[in-house]
Amino acid sequence: MSDSDRVCVGAIAGAFGVMGEVRLKSFCADPTAIADYGPLFTEDGATSYKITLTRPVSGGLGARVTGVKTKEEADALKGVQLYADRTRLPKLPDDEFYHADLIGLEVRDTGGVVLGKVLSVNNHGAGDILEISGPAIKGAQMIPFTLAIVPTVDLALGRVIVDLPDGLIE
Amino acid sequence: MARSIWKGPFVDGYLLKKAEASRASGKNEVIKIWSRRSTILPQFVGLTFGVYNGKKHIPVAVSEEMIGQKFGEYSPTRTYYGHAADKKAKRK
Repeated sequence: MSDSDRVCVGAIAGAFGVMGEVRLKSFCADPTAIADYGPLFTEDGATSYKITLTRPVSGGLGARVTGVKTKEEADALKGVQLYADRTRLPKLPDDEFYHADLIGLEVRDTGGVVLGKVLSVNNHGAGDILEISGPAIKGAQMIPFTLAIVPTVDLALGRVIVDLPDGLIE
Repeated sequence: MARSIWKGPFVDGYLLKKAEASRASGKNEVIKIWSRRSTILPQFVGLTFGVYNGKKHIPVAVSEEMIGQKFGEYSPTRTYYGHAADKKAKRK
């Protein structure tokens, strides 16, 4: 399985207590959802862990990890980032996309000219915004993720087609 | 202290002119503005503004819930990239 088939969903921040629990940082929209995406892998995919959440603790979630029984073993995992298989994430309805799927897609205008790539997806309270960057664009630019401006998202071909309104890109 | 009601909401004058011109033209365009302090008025609903954050213009599609807020609230001046994880974006 390649790296692109996995998404980083959390990290181990260290041991919690002396009974082999770990303090888990979840990057998920709903922090407790991290337990549903198991088994979780290390970045290189060599090791997998099953996670059982125990309780919320300051700065994260308390969790038990398979094979970790002592504080020393939990301490050794400090800083390990946890990846979930992309296939473990639930299917989404049309017009809803995971950020992980959108990031890295090629951006073309309606004439087929390549503008750049999607750098990130943001939401500052006024709808989702794609940050794009590429040789045809000065710096990184933001475009609203709306049907009018981004009419086509083709995950299979790895590209989005944008119909840019006047004045959006410098 | 809150702004006195008798004064009405504050909006930079040029913004009203730009919004009116954009509506009259009927074109699908982003109205670039630098006035982060201006209040979002009902006549701005449906328009898209590019609100300057000190570096670039962040697109802000104005909806009804945003009336009464300031434009600057939707154009953060500091950058934070979290992890994508299972976060979702919806195309509207």
